[in-house]
This record gives sequence, structure tokens and C-alpha cells, in this order.
Amino acid sequence: MSFAGILIELTLMPLVAFTIGLFMVLMMRKIAAKIQRRVGPPLLQPLYDIIKLYSKQTQTSHGLLHDIGIVMAVGGYIAAETMVPVPGMHGIADKAGLLTLAYVTMIPSLGLALGVGQCANPNGSIGISRALTAMLAYDVPFVIIIFGTAWFYGSNNLVEVVAAQQAGGIATWGVMQMPILAIAGLFSLYAMLGKQPFEIYVAPAEIATGPMVEMGGKFLGGLFVMQCFQLFTASAIYVSLFLGGGENWPFFIAKLFFIIAIPMSLAFLFPRYRTEDVLAAVWRWPVILGLAGVWLVMH
Amino acid sequence: MTDLRTIPVVAAGEERPSGGQGNLLARVFDELTAFCRSRSLFMLHYCTGCGAVELPPAMTSRFDMERLGIQPMVTPRQADILLVTGYVSTKTLKRIILTYEQMNSPKYVIGICSCTVNGGMYWQSYATAKKLNDYLPVDMYIAGCMPRPEAVISGLRELIANIRAGRSDYWRDYYRRYDHYLGNQQRLFGENWQTPTDVIAEARHYGLFGPETLGEHTALLEQHQTPLQPFEMRLGLKQDKGSSS
Repeated sequence: MSFAGILIELTLMPLVAFTIGLFMVLMMRKIAAKIQRRVGPPLLQPLYDIIKLYSKQTQTSHGLLHDIGIVMAVGGYIAAETMVPVPGMHGIADKAGLLTLAYVTMIPSLGLALGVGQCANPNGSIGISRALTAMLAYDVPFVIIIFGTAWFYGSNNLVEVVAAQQAGGIATWGVMQMPILAIAGLFSLYAMLGKQPFEIYVAPAEIATGPMVEMGGKFLGGLFVMQCFQLFTASAIYVSLFLGGGENWPFFIAKLFFIIAIPMSLAFLFPRYRTEDVLAAVWRWPVILGLAGVWLVMH
Repeated sequence: MTDLRTIPVVAAGEERPSGGQGNLLARVFDELTAFCRSRSLFMLHYCTGCGAVELPPAMTSRFDMERLGIQPMVTPRQADILLVTGYVSTKTLKRIILTYEQMNSPKYVIGICSCTVNGGMYWQSYATAKKLNDYLPVDMYIAGCMPRPEAVISGLRELIANIRAGRSDYWRDYYRRYDHYLGNQQRLFGENWQTPTDVIAEARHYGLFGPETLGEHTALLEQHQTPLQPFEMRLGLKQDKGSSS
């Protein structure tokens, strides 16, 4: 592909991902509202929030690293999102393998840690240490699942993985061929989204939203944008690995929203785990399932 | 106590920046931000008194604030509305002022219950601040003892309408007439009163300076003001450092 074509795709893909992410945030809040028998926010509420946060007239920055940390957090997910193929656009997906993707999805947490460190707020430090612990927790099953799928398809390249799944309709989807790995992957995705009961690092009532404690105005706006990209990227990775990727946009979007709706519908039924309970839960069930799935794949 | 006639009132639209006059794009942009500001309000509730009990029904399924775009937030940095629910003792007022100064503008203060309006049933208490707007610019009072959730919601709708029409600019008043507010604070807390936020520097930085930002009270503040120091990081026990400190 020509250089200009790649540039156009790298511009278009984040815009599409951001738009879909906004509606995912809306869906998350609507699901919470319906479970609590409320009306919930209006259609464009996530957009209003972001515009309002960016239009704050006074901003509180705690220094250069605080600014750079937010850029890393948002940029990490934008970079990860361009490595996942969407219908009609591959971005840099065929140049970056699954391992690169797994690495790049860690950058936002590291960037956030950098920024929060300079805020010198104890709640923020507790929050970010918990966020990194949670990352350590869900990355172990995530890497096992990536290993299993890469072994099964004989490829580290998401474009080839998606093409192999689309070759024979639903019967060749990852979820039909590796059901145990798919369940472990759903568990890992749930932990990756950081919703209840895995909400240890946000914990509004306990550590005042953890890493976000000193973030206001455009900083919080950046984190809201990051959340949109996070929801899109996490669900797009899962759909590409197990649900046959995107044949066309309507199916792809339906799959993305379906896969995000599962953890969201469960999330608001639970209270929050303690940190050690998250580690115990995530290192036990998805890891056992994942290893069993890998064993099945290899035999 | 000040007289009712001395309550600071900023006339609607007075001294508003005229950036968007004539330029269509800038006017559209201003309208968009005003709309989004009115439809997305993060609320920090400083629950000091009994009024706090009326907020959970206003937030949960019966009245549901989220359909108006109002969400509870837990830190001042993230919040737009500071909700003071109930009587304000002298000690509490210090914390409220610290909280208010940490919030990012535009910010709005709502006083709920009679106690924030005039001291309510604590009128004769020596330890209670009677009128909240002597110390902070209050955008809206919701009177009642306690106001029911319907009253809270209707007050918030009124605030939304005010923000949308550009009538809720009282946060500028805190910068413009800082001397007035600081004077009242000094009268209550003593002459050594100082907050970590340098309001005068902020007013200078953001161009919010007014004719009454500086005055005799800020001069008093500058006499004893110590610059904000980062906390000293120290490992080990305090007595290790010896008697030098």
C-alpha cells in the first residue's frame, strides 16, 4: 500500500474508533441506568462531557510529566487501535504482530503512572500501584490466550488470523474452534476493562478515583477520550481473535457492542474486590481455562 | 453579618469577554461550549448537614439526576458544582474554601438548606458561618429545611438554564472581588489565614483581574504569605533528623 493510503487509514481509524467508543460509553451508562431502574443519560452525553472538560477556563497542571503522561495514555490506545484490523482498513495491523499489540496496550497504564507520580497525591499513588497490579493480573491470561490463538492459526499476524476465521463462515470462528480459550479471553477482557468487581484502581468511595484524583479539565477530558479508545480496542482485539473479525461494518459494530455488553451487564451487579482477591481470581480461573485451552489446541 | 443589600450581584452579561462578537465561527464555538457546560455538570457534594439525606433520592431511580447530565464526582479537581448541604461551621468553612479554590473554573456553588442562607436554626451559634455568600460566590440557594428532592432538581434545572444563558458567572466574581471575600474570611479565621491556592496569581494568569482584586486585605495577606512548599520526603523516624528541625 502507498504511503498516502496508510496515512489516510491512520487518520480515519482513530476517528471511527473514537465515535464507536463514545457510543460504547453511552451504552455502558445506559446499562447501569436500566439495571438501577433510572432513565440514564441522553444520547450525546459522553460528547458533552468531553467538550465541557476541554473548555474549562482554568487548568491545573502539576508539571511536564503530568502533561506527557496523559498524552502517553491516550496515544498508547490510539497506537494499539491502529494495529487491529477493521473492515476495509488494516492500518499497520499486518506489520505489527500480536505481541507488539500486547505490549502497546500496556503503555497507557505506564503513561498514567508517569503522570500521576508527579501529582504527588497519595490517593493517586495508591490508585496507580493498584492499576499496575491489575495490569499484571490480566496480562498473564491475556498472553496465554494470545499464545494459544497464534499457535492454532500458525500466525502472529492479526490480518491472517481474521482471514483464516472468515474463510468458512461461523464454523471457523475462533469461538467455535477454541471455546475454552474464548471463555478465558472474555474473563481477561472483563478484567482489562476495569469494571466492578475488578474496579480496584478507580474505587471512588475509597481512594477518590485513584489515578484520576488530581486530573481536572483537559486532563480528565483526555482520560475520557482514552476510555473511548480503550473500550473500542479491547473489544476489537477480542472480536478479531474469536469472533471472526469484521466482514463488513454493520456486523463488526454489532459484534463489538455485543462483546462489550456482556461484562457491562455483569459489572453493575457486583461490589468491588480487594486487590489480592483480583489477583487470586484472575490468576486462577482464566489462567487454568487458558492453559487447558492451549493444551487442547496443541493436541 | 452584612446587610442583605450588600449581597454581591453580578449583572447578567456584565463585563463578559467580547471575543465572539462578529466572528461567526467563534460565536458558534461559544454557543457550543455554553451548551455543553450546561448539559454536563459534575457535582462535588460537601455534605455537612442534614441536607445530604435528600441527595441520594435525587440521584437514584426516583428522580435520576443523570438524565440532566449531572453526575457525582469525588474530587474538587474534577467537579463543576460544589454543593454545600447544611450548616457551615467555622472549621468546615475553611475546608469548603480550600475545596472551592482547587476546583477548575467555570465552577458553581449551590447552597442547600436554610442554614447556608442565613444560619437557619444555628442562628445563635457562635461557631456557625451564617451566610455562605460572604465567603464564596454562591450561584444558587435552594432554601428549605430540608428541601425535598423535587426542589433540589428544580434548583439544578434553574442553574442549567442560567449557565446556558450565560448568567452564572459568579466564579469570576471571586477573582474580581477577591479582596471582599478575603476580608470576610480574615474576619472569621484571623489575620494569618492563607490557602494553598494563590488566587491573585491565578487571576493575573487568566486575565480575570478586577478593580477590587487587590485591596487592604490582600495587602495583609501578602505581609505574612509563605510560598507553598512541597512536602519534605523523609524516610525513617522523625527523631533521626535530630533537634535541628
